[in-house]
Amino acid sequence: MKIELTGRIDSNNAQQTEKEIIDRLAACGENEVVLDAAGLEYISSAGLRVILRLKNTYPDVSIVNVSSEVYEILDMTGFTEILPVEKAYRVVSVEGCEEIGRGANGTIYRIDQDNVVKVYNNADALEDIRHEREVAKLALILGVPTAISYDVVKVGESYGSVFELLNARSFSKIISTEPDKLDWCVGEYVKMLKRIHATLVPAGKLPDMRETAVSWARFMLDYLPEEAGKKLVSIVEAVPHDDHMIHGDYHTKNLELQNDEVLLIDMDTLSVGHPVFELASIFNAFIGFSELDHEVIKSFQGFDFETARTFWKKFLSAYLGTECPLKLQEVENKARIIGYTRLIRRSIRRGGLESEGGRAEIAFWKERLLALLEKTDSLVFSANELEVAASAENLGAVQTFVDERLQAADCPPNIRLQVSVAVEEIFVNIANYAYKPGAGSAVVRVEVAEDPVSVSITFLDHGVPYDPLTGKDPDLKRAGEGGDMHGLGVFMTKKLMDGIAYEYKNGQNILTLKKNL
Amino acid sequence: MDIRTERNKEKTVITLTGRLDAVTAPELEKAVNDALEGTAELVFGFEGLDYISSAGLRVLLAAQKIMDKKGCMRVKGVSGPVMDVFRATGFSEILTID
Repeated sequence: MKIELTGRIDSNNAQQTEKEIIDRLAACGENEVVLDAAGLEYISSAGLRVILRLKNTYPDVSIVNVSSEVYEILDMTGFTEILPVEKAYRVVSVEGCEEIGRGANGTIYRIDQDNVVKVYNNADALEDIRHEREVAKLALILGVPTAISYDVVKVGESYGSVFELLNARSFSKIISTEPDKLDWCVGEYVKMLKRIHATLVPAGKLPDMRETAVSWARFMLDYLPEEAGKKLVSIVEAVPHDDHMIHGDYHTKNLELQNDEVLLIDMDTLSVGHPVFELASIFNAFIGFSELDHEVIKSFQGFDFETARTFWKKFLSAYLGTECPLKLQEVENKARIIGYTRLIRRSIRRGGLESEGGRAEIAFWKERLLALLEKTDSLVFSANELEVAASAENLGAVQTFVDERLQAADCPPNIRLQVSVAVEEIFVNIANYAYKPGAGSAVVRVEVAEDPVSVSITFLDHGVPYDPLTGKDPDLKRAGEGGDMHGLGVFMTKKLMDGIAYEYKNGQNILTLKKNL
Repeated sequence: MDIRTERNKEKTVITLTGRLDAVTAPELEKAVNDALEGTAELVFGFEGLDYISSAGLRVLLAAQKIMDKKGCMRVKGVSGPVMDVFRATGFSEILTID
């Protein structure tokens, strides 16, 4: 039952107002009471006591359409915590306004020089707005720069939340209007993402992205061949839990440059999880969505597909700190598996199977997903690890990958060379002997330790157990007389490194080199 | 890796630029084999050599073994980092390094 409150309610008319309300409620016999405060100008403590007594009889009572002045009274007296209080919403029009951002749940428009409004897709968005405000606050407290909405408005039939955003330009706009700033944008974009990914979120504060991704994967069980579907679910489930923040919709329209400050907007997809889930959504934003129809990106981001592809490649390289093509391919493929899964599900849920265009895009993504599933056993990656086919032709890639890590650790050139030589000796050994006559892969992991400053390079392979440390050292002095130079590589490795250890564990050869810096 | 061979009567100079690793060592092996015939003095110019591993050193050792019987072999222009590898592994005592 809706009851209008009008004018002023104070000690002069509180008693009378109370009687009227009770009479009306008794007459209709409903239990749900909504007080419509659209016409309420003022309420004193006598009036507030009326509402309190009402709440005792009707615990579900709420107040809607509260003016800012009355809201202030209710807020100050603590009433906003006792019962639901909904403000009267300012009405804002976005007609003719510039679209500056677009996220999973809404579109952001600039309404005047200082303000933007995010209009939610969901008509009943108050809960979404509350959620976004909560997570934006959390992000801000944890050190991630973002804008927090200060007002909720009505935009047509939808709700919107208003943010202050002065002189701000989205990164998409910068990229499309000033192409020479692309590299700068990539740098800032990566810096911000690393900041997000380094943020530890207290348990339970944000949703777990893996759970969402598992539900996407399970959805696919009905649309993929049985084996592929099962594999998809199992590799998503196998991604370890991670309490670091991920943004979830991190593309260049959601990053704003305000004066000289980089700000994140659109926080409603904030969650926790392994970065592979973030990379999947970034891949989709720049490539996945527009991979079949390259025009899509233009209307969404304002720049063309080639620019988007360049941005993605540069981003991934900077994010992972590597130029190694094999590493970049490895991580991209993992991201694509989740990315395509999400795109296919999204299209199917939007009726994609019922239209020719929809079926074409689903088939396109599915073909790629199936090919990737065939050759991928894990979605987890680490910036310090490279998995490659154990083949001598990958030697250069492995050495480059290790050397980049040493360079990042300020390792001097002579030590980098020595490590590089040792890496060759071990990797070529694996390539030549571990899987003969078959083929297999090897993992190379680089770790830098602080005290003492040292670097460890670990090689893992599933080949025949082989301990290279058991062989006899060659006698260099007898080289000229035709002495046996067998084991020269391992001998050099031992001489060049400060430590070398071998073990065979869980079906793997594990060889670790250590060098003090 | 680039290999340049210069021949002056019985003296052969092989100049290397780039990386001498397991992938490129067979190229050097071929260049050395082609050069040995009639050479009494074999010089390796390492000014432009950034990298050397056991695969390259095997080629040098094999050449040394042959040259010990018919003349001499020297390595010159070794960079600091490569010299460190030679020292750490004992090659600095096996090879004649200018």
